[in-house]
Amino acid sequence: MDCPLVYHPAYQAYDFGPRHPFSPVRLERVWTLLEALGAAPEPVAPPAATPAEVRWVHDDALVAQVEAASDGAPRPDAPRYGLATPDVPAFEGMDAAARLLVGGTLHAARLVASGAAVRVLQLGGGLHHAQQALASGFCVYNDLAVAIHHLRREGLRVAYLDVDVHHGDGVQWLFYEDPDVLTISLHESGRYLFPGTGGVFEMGEDAGTGYALNVPLEPFTQDASYLDVFERVVPHALAWFRPDVLVVQCGADAHAADPLAHLLLTTHGYEALFRRILALADVHTGGRLVLTLGGGYDLDATTRIWTMLALLARGLDLPERLPETWLHRWTDRQGGPPTPTLHDPEAERSVANRAAIEDQNRRVSTRLLELAAPYWH
Amino acid sequence: MLLEEIMQRPVWTIAPAARLDEAYRLMRRHNVRHLPVVEGERLVGIVTDRDVRALTRPGSGVFGGGTPVHRAMTPDPITAGPRDPVEEAARLMRRRKVGCLPVLDGGRLAGIVTVTDLLDALAHLTGLEKPGSRLVVRVDDAPGRLAHLTSLVADQGINLLSVLTYTEPATAYVRIILRLAALDPHPAAALLRREGFDVVWPPAP
Repeated sequence: MDCPLVYHPAYQAYDFGPRHPFSPVRLERVWTLLEALGAAPEPVAPPAATPAEVRWVHDDALVAQVEAASDGAPRPDAPRYGLATPDVPAFEGMDAAARLLVGGTLHAARLVASGAAVRVLQLGGGLHHAQQALASGFCVYNDLAVAIHHLRREGLRVAYLDVDVHHGDGVQWLFYEDPDVLTISLHESGRYLFPGTGGVFEMGEDAGTGYALNVPLEPFTQDASYLDVFERVVPHALAWFRPDVLVVQCGADAHAADPLAHLLLTTHGYEALFRRILALADVHTGGRLVLTLGGGYDLDATTRIWTMLALLARGLDLPERLPETWLHRWTDRQGGPPTPTLHDPEAERSVANRAAIEDQNRRVSTRLLELAAPYWH
Repeated sequence: MLLEEIMQRPVWTIAPAARLDEAYRLMRRHNVRHLPVVEGERLVGIVTDRDVRALTRPGSGVFGGGTPVHRAMTPDPITAGPRDPVEEAARLMRRRKVGCLPVLDGGRLAGIVTVTDLLDALAHLTGLEKPGSRLVVRVDDAPGRLAHLTSLVADQGINLLSVLTYTEPATAYVRIILRLAALDPHPAAALLRREGFDVVWPPAP
C-alpha cells in the first residue's frame, strides 16, 4: 500500500539539549537508515501548525508561556505550566519547533480526512503527555490531540491507540468526555511508571464514559503476554466502536533495552504488534490510519523499531542485515557498532516470575472487559 | 489537609417531618447516600440510604414510604469541624463506624464529608493527580534520613509532588515513597544508590 511519509529535517529542532533523552538523533538515524535501505520516499514536508490550530486543544495561557520561553526568557511562573522544568526545559525556538511537529501530525490527519491518502506515517510527533494547560513528560504541544480534533471536525469517529510504554494521559484527558473519540492505551502500570495514571477504572466521564480504555501492564511483561492482552482488548473495542479512522502513537520504549521503563518487548514483539495494527485498520477503518512516533530512549533499539514500522507501513520487505555503509557511519557517531541486524540478535531474556506477570496482565484485561461490557451493548 | 478543603457543599438536607420516599428520591437525584436531617438551622439527625431501604423493605411490617424521616434517622449524629484534619476525621469514622460526618461551623451545617471524600483526599495526598514517577527507598528509622534523601533529589532540580512514609510491619525499617515531577526517576535512583540508599523502585539497570 502507498503510505506517504510526513517528515521535515527541521523536526530535529525539537531538541532539549545533549543530556536530554528525547533526542533528535533518533529521527536522523531512522531517516538515514531508510535512505540506506533505499526505502525513503520523497517525504511530504508539512507546514507548521498555526498558533490558532494549537489552541484547538491548548489554553491561551500555555501557548503564551511557550512563546515567552522560546525567546530564551521563560516567565517566572513557567514551571506551573510544566515549562522550564527538567523534563521540558525551555530552549530558543521551542514554540516553532513544537508547532512544526504538531503540523506534521495535523497534515497526516488532513491527508487521510481528505482522502488524498489512506495510510500515513508521521515520522515524528506522538507527544501524548501534553495537557490542556500543561507541558509534561518531554511534550510541549499535543500533536495527536490537534490531529484528532481536526478529524472530529471532518465528522470522523476516531479511535486512538497508544502503545508507548507510558500512559497516553494527555490525549485521554483532552477527549475524556467525548463519545466520538475512543482512547486505548497499553502501558506499564502507573503504579510503577510515569505519569502514574492509566488504571482500568479511568473510563471516561459524562457522555464519554466507556470511551477511554486503559490496560496497565506489569513491569517485565514480555512479548507473548503483551500480544495476548492486546488481542483480548483491542479488536473487540474497535469492533464495538466502529471508528472511521485509527490514530496510533507508536512509542518504541516498551522495548527491553529502554533505559526509562521496564517492559521487555523485543523487536519480534513489535513486528507482530505493527502487523496486527495495520490489519486491524484494514478491517475496521477501511485502512484509514495515521501513525506517529513517540517515546523510545534506547537509540539502537528505537532506530530499528521505527525503521521496521516505516517498512511495514509501506508494505516493504524487512531486511535481515542493515547496510554496511550505515553501520559504519553510525559506529563513529555512536562510539560503538550498532546492532547489525534489524531484529534483536539475542534471545528473549528469562524472567523469574513470568507466570505471575502473565496472570496479572490477564486479570487486568478481564477486569477491563467486565467494566467496559455495560457500555458495549 | 483540613475538612473545609475537601468537604462537599452545598449539602442536600431533609426535614424531620418529610416522608422517607421523598428522602430516597432526593438521594437518587443527587447521587448521595447520606442526608442530614435539619430542623430550621439545627441539625437533628442523619438518614442514610441503608436506613431507608431497611425500613421500607416489603415485609418489614413496621414502616412504609410514608413514614416520617425522624422515625428512621439516627438522632444527634457525630459531627466534625471545618478545621479538623482529614486523618482525625478518618479515625473518628472508623472508631464510631459511621460513613459520613456533617461538618458544623458555629452550629451551622457547612458541609459533609463521606468515605468517598476521604478516599479522594488520600489520592490527592499521594500526589497522583499530577504526572509524576515513583521512587521508593527503604531506610533505617533514624533522624535525618528523609532530609538527606530529599536534599539529594532537590540537588537534581527535581520537584517533589508528595512524600509518604510508613514503618514496615515486623521490621524497624521505614519506607519512603516519593513522587517526583519527572518522567525518568532512574538518574535520581542511581545517585541515591551511590550515596548508599537502599532503593526499592525503580530497579537498577
